[in-house]
Amino acid sequence: MKLEGFPQNLTLKDGTQVVVKPLEAKDAPALLEFYRALPEEDRLYLRDDVTKPEWLERFVAHVQHNEVVSLIALHGNKVAGEASLYRALHGWTAHVGEIRISVAPALRRSGLGSVLARDLVKLAIGLGVEKMIVQMVESQLSARRLFEKLGFRQEAVLRAHVKDIHGIKRDLVIASNDVSHLWEAMEALVSDFSPTVG
Amino acid sequence: MDKSEIRVGGLGGQGVILCGMIIGKAASIYDGKHATLIQSFGPEARGSACSAQVSVADEPIGYPYVKNPDVLIVMSPDAYTQFAPQLRPGGVLLYENELIAVDDKLPAGVKAFGIPATRLAEELGRRLVLNIVMTGFFAGVTGLVSFEAAENAVKSSVPRGTEDLNLRAFRKGYEYGRELLAKAS
Ligand SMILES: CC(C)(COP(=O)(O)OP(=O)(O)OC[C@H]1O[C@@H](n2cnc3c(N)ncnc32)[C@H](O)[C@@H]1OP(=O)(O)O)[C@@H](O)C(=O)NCCC(=O)NCCS
Repeated sequence: MKLEGFPQNLTLKDGTQVVVKPLEAKDAPALLEFYRALPEEDRLYLRDDVTKPEWLERFVAHVQHNEVVSLIALHGNKVAGEASLYRALHGWTAHVGEIRISVAPALRRSGLGSVLARDLVKLAIGLGVEKMIVQMVESQLSARRLFEKLGFRQEAVLRAHVKDIHGIKRDLVIASNDVSHLWEAMEALVSDFSPTVG
Repeated sequence: MDKSEIRVGGLGGQGVILCGMIIGKAASIYDGKHATLIQSFGPEARGSACSAQVSVADEPIGYPYVKNPDVLIVMSPDAYTQFAPQLRPGGVLLYENELIAVDDKLPAGVKAFGIPATRLAEELGRRLVLNIVMTGFFAGVTGLVSFEAAENAVKSSVPRGTEDLNLRAFRKGYEYGRELLAKAS
């Protein structure tokens, strides 16, 4: 799948220049390096062991099969951040997409996370996704703030669902953004029905 | 006067009127021509026949009704059966080729171009954009509206937030049309 509007050249709030683009197979080694350098604390909340080459291989395959849409931000030849949209292409949640996002600690709080997330939400809508979810730990305040600004609202809390790096159990927050009304408007537009015109 | 008459036919829910509207809008607002649109709806919202008649010309149009279209766009078998015999000889038929089977009763010299628009729309993410795929196909095959004009008309006609997918649908149909043309010539 070819995603349009990329690469994007960006200057972050702190002046850092990055390029945002869809992940390609050739970026895989840089992505692995990025994940390996993430603090363990952040990696713990990810569902896969992203430091393993096997994970990366599967991830790239998912991207190639359109099950995952992945955007990366490159700073020079290093990955500075990654955002992915996971889609179930079949079954009863085929209209739902899950977003995950990470930014390199040194570059946080400069707006990169917001840009990546916003681009991904736009892409998701373009792909026909009707509802997006994101899973966060209660303590991931910047993630919660970031997604709230993009229209996500807390939908469920799973109590003591995750254990952090110190073994302390924490609540998992699931926030969602239902964009189906956009498509309802399109549906109305193509209904070809007018009560006043016979 | 150089005037082109277009009829779009299909079922309620397929976006027939929107397709006609976008073509008219592309021609009149963005290509600087004159265009008229007449819409006929079926009695119910979904699944009943409906059609749009579009005329495009360089001069103001006195008579907006389309009797023998130069171009017929059909999205359902019923619309094909009803409107295909009215096509002007030598005209162009654009049809959804997984829903409609073209027979040999077409007027003389009609050039028929098929596109699996429903499947392409589904592959893009939403069946709903089938009419936009057809609109792109129309622009690609006939050239009666320019690519830029039609693209602008799509962008300004669809609900906010749905532009990306609709534009991709438009381009898909357009490219499919250009490729068919290239093969045919
Ligand atoms: C969440 C994350 C991607 C944000 O990236 P980022 O590049 O720092 O994001 P931004 O700079 O766009 O900041 C987002 C917002 O959070 C705010 N924020 C940042 N840190 C914060 C904190 N500790 N407390 C409260 N708000 C905070 C920022 O101020 C900003 O809001 P603003 O624009 O109103 O100022 C990044 O922190 C990260 O990788 N965290 C670890 C992984 C994670 O939590 N992923 C989310 C779940 S999938």
